[in-house]
Amino acid sequence: MKAAIRSSALARIFLVAGFGVALSAMPANAQKAGGSITVGLELDIPGFDPLKVGVYDTSAETAAAAIFDTLVALDDNGKPVPKLALSWTHSDDYKTWTFKLRPGVKFHDGTPFNAQAVKENFDRQKDPANKCRCAFYIAYVNNVQAPDELTVVYNLNDPQVNQPALMTIQSSNNAVHSPTAWKTKGDDYNRNPVGTGPYILKSWTAGDRMVLEKNPDYWNKGHPYLDRIILKPLPDAQSRFASLQSGEADIVWDDEYDADNIMKAQKDPKMKVHTYAGSGAQVYAFNTKVAPFDDVRVRQALVMALDRKKMSQAITNGLARPASNPYGDGSWVKCKDDGALPEDLEKAKALIKDYGKPVEFKMIVTATPRGRTVGQVLQQFWKRAGANMEIEQIDQATVVPRAFMRQFQLTPWRIVDLADPDPQMYANFRTGSPVALANYSNPELDKLLDHARVTADPEKRTEDYCAISRIINKEAIWFWTFQNTYYAIATSKLKGLPKIYHGVIDVSDTWLE
Amino acid sequence: MLFFVARRLLYLIPVLIAVSLLTFFIASLLPGDLAYVILGDQATPENVAALRKDMGLDQPVWIRYFSWLGNILQGDFGRSFRTGQTVLQAVTERLPVSFELMLLAEIMGLVIGVPLAILCAARNGSAFDRFMTGSAFAMLSVPAFLSAILLIYLFAVELRWLPATGYVPFAEDPAANLRFMVLPALTLALAEWPGIMRVLRSDMIATLQEDYIALAKAKGLKASRILFVHALKPSSLTLVTITGINIGRLIGGTVIVETIFALPGIGRLLVGAIYTRDLIILQGVVLIVAAGFVIMNFIVDLLYAVLDPRIRHGHA
Repeated sequence: MKAAIRSSALARIFLVAGFGVALSAMPANAQKAGGSITVGLELDIPGFDPLKVGVYDTSAETAAAAIFDTLVALDDNGKPVPKLALSWTHSDDYKTWTFKLRPGVKFHDGTPFNAQAVKENFDRQKDPANKCRCAFYIAYVNNVQAPDELTVVYNLNDPQVNQPALMTIQSSNNAVHSPTAWKTKGDDYNRNPVGTGPYILKSWTAGDRMVLEKNPDYWNKGHPYLDRIILKPLPDAQSRFASLQSGEADIVWDDEYDADNIMKAQKDPKMKVHTYAGSGAQVYAFNTKVAPFDDVRVRQALVMALDRKKMSQAITNGLARPASNPYGDGSWVKCKDDGALPEDLEKAKALIKDYGKPVEFKMIVTATPRGRTVGQVLQQFWKRAGANMEIEQIDQATVVPRAFMRQFQLTPWRIVDLADPDPQMYANFRTGSPVALANYSNPELDKLLDHARVTADPEKRTEDYCAISRIINKEAIWFWTFQNTYYAIATSKLKGLPKIYHGVIDVSDTWLE
Repeated sequence: MLFFVARRLLYLIPVLIAVSLLTFFIASLLPGDLAYVILGDQATPENVAALRKDMGLDQPVWIRYFSWLGNILQGDFGRSFRTGQTVLQAVTERLPVSFELMLLAEIMGLVIGVPLAILCAARNGSAFDRFMTGSAFAMLSVPAFLSAILLIYLFAVELRWLPATGYVPFAEDPAANLRFMVLPALTLALAEWPGIMRVLRSDMIATLQEDYIALAKAKGLKASRILFVHALKPSSLTLVTITGINIGRLIGGTVIVETIFALPGIGRLLVGAIYTRDLIILQGVVLIVAAGFVIMNFIVDLLYAVLDPRIRHGHA
């Protein structure tokens, strides 16, 4: 106990200004301790061992946010703030990042949290022998070193200006696991995760409920507030909302395809709709190596034939926000001119006429009600412009391999909410990248992508990214329909929910009024 | 009788082998190579080739089938590549939920269907009979996902009598368990009782025209005694068949009902395995469920023999 007090005093001294301000800005005694909430998620959580599950989906990340800590967190202004790391510095070329760790932190099983633990987490994922799917996302990190107990050094292959912000998602890469736990538990570790987080896994019935109890020795004294968090997968949207109405759930995951219920909740004084207008977008890639998309006129025509407002109305009751670039309102990249093509049906018709040959192609859609609806709406738009699209429904699990093997003419893809545009923009558009789906190569585009990732000044980077958007929009190699918006509906008594970054409903620091 | 049971058991063997063949080959026909699914964003051709070799996916399908079957005969159904759980673990965790759900649904279906059938048969052609037959038709055509949402809306959201979703194990708290199970079981039962009622009703009408019923009436026996004691048992042969076949339909129904009511049963396990291409879980669960269904029908066959001696002696 004494050690815990000492370490918390130490922790307070080490608090970096930004974090301190955020804490003292809160009115005193506003947060009430105690109580329990139930969170309704969309999907069953398969587990937490990165070697087993590869990457976490947002349901797993929601649980990970309570069980684990990350080195860095994002505040509500999108700025990286200390969590398990207290401060950080970088080399001039942004290829070496050094983090000073919080002292005195222990995993739930008593294992001390230190630089060695962080390194072991990384090494385990990076080791080619472990064949972890999670390794893809840390491919740009060459190695992690632990020169002393509380210092971690990330040596990157590629420069990364915003490295700390990228380490904030509660993903399989960023959650720090107890090395003792995975070594001793073996195959059972997947369903018995051990972290440093504010909640400890108490019990977990597969497919039903995961019960998390408050961690009494949490390093952030006075936190968390709730005694217990219960996470339940409620796969059906209607019954998930009904569970919130009837009080079985206190907060539920939702998305804009469930527009009716979101709008109902907005009018209900007992409920609060939490939304976050994130970065990224729902996107589609043309294969520019196959006809008819080897001709820029056809690609431009199809993009101009879209009416995103009408589409939003048809699919989501107008909730979905049209996108004209891949960054979105949640991104710090704001463009005066993103080069978006006008929505102009007449011009689209003229371009197709100009092309001269009949425009017929297949588009991949996921075999889900959502995928089908989107496909049918697009089909109608394009028919009016004189293009015939055939819908090819394939299973979600098959979309990725088809995209990798470039076996498509037009495929859906996704740019998710990340704190920095570089990882996804570079992967999606740099010549030679395995997910540069359009098969398109442009030296100017490559130059801009290379420049943006080694430039520190956000204004200069913004210029680069806006120029990138202008090229992509003009060449119409990809197009964007809607920005990413993330939703959670809660009882109005639940307070303190942070922004739903990356779609993760982080309830770990909430309280009940 | 023993000979009859032994012969029926022998029939089971080819049926189960056929089931295992179908299960395996249908699962391997699913689009989406497992190696690509596991590797996801990292599915470079070299990685895919290495993993396929690692998992034995490069072997011809019949070799994989025999090694899978061989393992199963030794009690090893395999392990999920996503969760590390063995198939047997996953199934034993989830089976009690689905089993209870099906049992309750069947009981509810019988409780609603049998008395209605008897009443309708007794008043054959009356306004009540016509109304009930019509309602049964209507109920048959209401899909489970619709009745589930309507029931949730009425009993959970408006009246607040029952919970909308969730589950508590029976062993932990029987009363709470039943509260959670009422709506899902009722959803399934609403689709079950019409079949039960219509089959039993027509059998009863036929039975009620038999001479011995007329004799019973002539002896002055009470109408209720004639219906429940003299007419019910001989009329229930088709009912037993229907109940057996219903188990198969109920297994299908649990997939939808467990998803809507968020019950951690075998149906949800199956849906999850399909979405995530967890073929090892998928094959294992389908095989176990199919074997259960086949064995259920075997029991129904035996019940026949108990109910009707002619079948037992092979004269039917």
